[in-house]
Amino acid sequence: MKALHLPLLTACLALSPLRAQTPPEDLAKRVDALSRELERVKGELEARPASGTVLGGYGEIQFSHFTKDGAKDTADLRRFVLALTHRFDDRTELVTELEVEHAVSSSDDKGEVEIEQAYIQHRLSPTWSLRGGLFLVPAGLLNEHHEPTAYYGVERNAVETAIIPSTWREGGLQVVGAFDNGILLQAGVSTGFDFSKWDAASTEGAESPLGAVHQELSGAKSHDLAAFAALNWRGLPGLLLGGSWFHAKGAQGQPAMPPMAATLWDVHARWTPGPFDLSALYARGTVADTAAFNQTRVGSPTLVPSRFEGWYGQAAWHLWSSGSYALAPFVRYESVNTAAAFEPLAPASLTPEAAPAERIWTAGLTFNLNPHVVLKADLRRFRNDTAQNRVNLGLGWAF
Amino acid sequence: MSARIRNVRLLAGAGLALGLACGSAGSPGPGGGLSPAASLGEQIFKDTSLSASGLQSCATCHVAEAGHGSDNDLPAQLGGAALNLQGTRQSPTIRYLATNTGFHYDAEGTPTGGFFWDGRAETLADQAAGPFLNPLEMAMPSKAAVVAKLAAAPYAAAFRAAFGDAIFTDVEQAYRCMTLALQHYQREDRDFQPFSSKFDAFLRGGVRLTDAEARGMALFNDPQKGNCASCHPSSGPRPLFTDFTYDALGVPRNPALSANADPAYFDLGLGARPEIARPDLYGAFKVPTLRNVALRKALFHNGRFTSLTDAVTFYVQRDTHPEKWYPTAPDGTVMKFDDLPAKYHGNVNVKEVPYNRLPGQAPALTDAEVDDVVAFLKTLTDGYTR
Repeated sequence: MKALHLPLLTACLALSPLRAQTPPEDLAKRVDALSRELERVKGELEARPASGTVLGGYGEIQFSHFTKDGAKDTADLRRFVLALTHRFDDRTELVTELEVEHAVSSSDDKGEVEIEQAYIQHRLSPTWSLRGGLFLVPAGLLNEHHEPTAYYGVERNAVETAIIPSTWREGGLQVVGAFDNGILLQAGVSTGFDFSKWDAASTEGAESPLGAVHQELSGAKSHDLAAFAALNWRGLPGLLLGGSWFHAKGAQGQPAMPPMAATLWDVHARWTPGPFDLSALYARGTVADTAAFNQTRVGSPTLVPSRFEGWYGQAAWHLWSSGSYALAPFVRYESVNTAAAFEPLAPASLTPEAAPAERIWTAGLTFNLNPHVVLKADLRRFRNDTAQNRVNLGLGWAF
Repeated sequence: MSARIRNVRLLAGAGLALGLACGSAGSPGPGGGLSPAASLGEQIFKDTSLSASGLQSCATCHVAEAGHGSDNDLPAQLGGAALNLQGTRQSPTIRYLATNTGFHYDAEGTPTGGFFWDGRAETLADQAAGPFLNPLEMAMPSKAAVVAKLAAAPYAAAFRAAFGDAIFTDVEQAYRCMTLALQHYQREDRDFQPFSSKFDAFLRGGVRLTDAEARGMALFNDPQKGNCASCHPSSGPRPLFTDFTYDALGVPRNPALSANADPAYFDLGLGARPEIARPDLYGAFKVPTLRNVALRKALFHNGRFTSLTDAVTFYVQRDTHPEKWYPTAPDGTVMKFDDLPAKYHGNVNVKEVPYNRLPGQAPALTDAEVDDVVAFLKTLTDGYTR
């Protein structure tokens, strides 16, 4: 169990934005502090009973003031998630998350009730585990670690919302290899995309191309499965380097549908030297055979792009802490383009023009009441769609 | 209970009642061919003896070669015992209606579904029941008279075999079974939903559209240009080019329609149905499928246009050049929407593209673009062969 959880624990510590609540003066002190914390958590883990049920959860409430149009201001309980984990024995556990979005879910409201995760994980050896069921796709920095206490800003970043459609889950089988050298390898097969869901008359596909066609194991068409892999390395304290790849055809055996093979990959890095927390990510998606599909929908507002991509760089500074309180300002710059290229159509005049990349500055503050409860405030400025400029206030929790 | 659910339950109940009354004659025939009821429906559909004139059948006004619509440019077809009385509306195509629903208001209050131009029939069978007794159409004096003709038809024995030896002794039952047979025919015979146009071949990936057709499709779909797809959806593997809703277009009055000789006569569409208590819907007619529209020789509910190019041009120039489409009063003002009483002019759609324009503004489509849209619409004609 120690060998299995050590890299995972290191990952969790590295991903916690306010991990450095007591900024060390030098690297040695910092490593000491980390080691002590690690030993404590390891001890807790080893003390866990072989079986048992653990209730967790997270949630977030947001207020947004749109600086160009106050009529768009909203206050929303964006999500409320209950997480239930049950250990059948020391090798097998069930992991689930049940989510309610927007406080009310009914036929007359926009809310949704969703199963965000529901999988069985079984440990084959100290290094290797199998995961089967509905799980989060290992992509980017945020998709698998999406609790409001795990990221800066009231809202998740645009790249990992529009390009990587977080929170993105599929049903399938996954092998997880957690090595002592800090490498975490994940790979498997899962359900993929259904491009027949693409509604060219709506803007959904322009907001998130893959978000418009992923299936989330809700009666998912499964003629064409996906293959995926992710590799993350945390071999040095405070450093994370990784990347992911996901590939699937989207025709699902439906007549008159071209194969529509979609590929998404990303590379990402996170480095936490001293009180600083620096991260960067680049994600790129491509879809093949879009011309045959788009040709039957020419003139519609949202055709399928052949390429979409985005990147961001983010810097946070753990400025102050006292007891359980901690304050960290951050700044993030993003470039995101959900329609960076289109395959040529006939006649050529019908080929849509590529969209300009949207560039977004976000600056804000994160204030922790304790490691599990966070207050956030930020300012987001959009270079193109300035109507989206807004001030956000947020309250989040995770336990 | 929502109106939608209520309607579905009513329809289910009606279907069940009909099924029980008319036996299992609707089961598919041997080899997957037409069921006995559908085969009877085909014969009934083509039987001219079931009209007062003895010269008119369902197929007279719903001609298969014309997309199961009328095959001439009359504003409405002639009927009656002497075939000298004109109806008040174009014979709508009855093709591609198998997936239509009964009339209901959707969650936003939009009237949807129903059969006929005003949606007054709940099912294909209900729709089939009407023309036999309409004095301006087949003009039979009563259901009993129709059933008597059925009993004397060459297929009477097959009718008895399908629905029971005593079927002709119960007029109501026999009449219901006749309409059910017509419904079976329209649902089962592939001629009513062949999906055999060039556009279908294009969707299947076997054919390319010409540049003009492809440009026309883009204009058809473009919400800022034709915006046709907002009511005539073109997406999906087998689009029907109608959303089965209703719209008030302000189609000009057609002086060639006999009923319009009376200046006090107005066809209010949904408003012609006494039970429709929504004056804001008066003047709205059903959005027809555009499949086979190029075969139509008279278009819109009153047959006002006899050219597809004129019909498309009307859409985009109704508001920018109203003088082209409506008469001018002695004082020089253009009498827009002259086929509706003035108090309902506010019901006419003036908000959506391409109607959202004013005199002097450029139409949403140029003449060349109208030609492209027409080229595209011609790809919707069934029976395409390379």
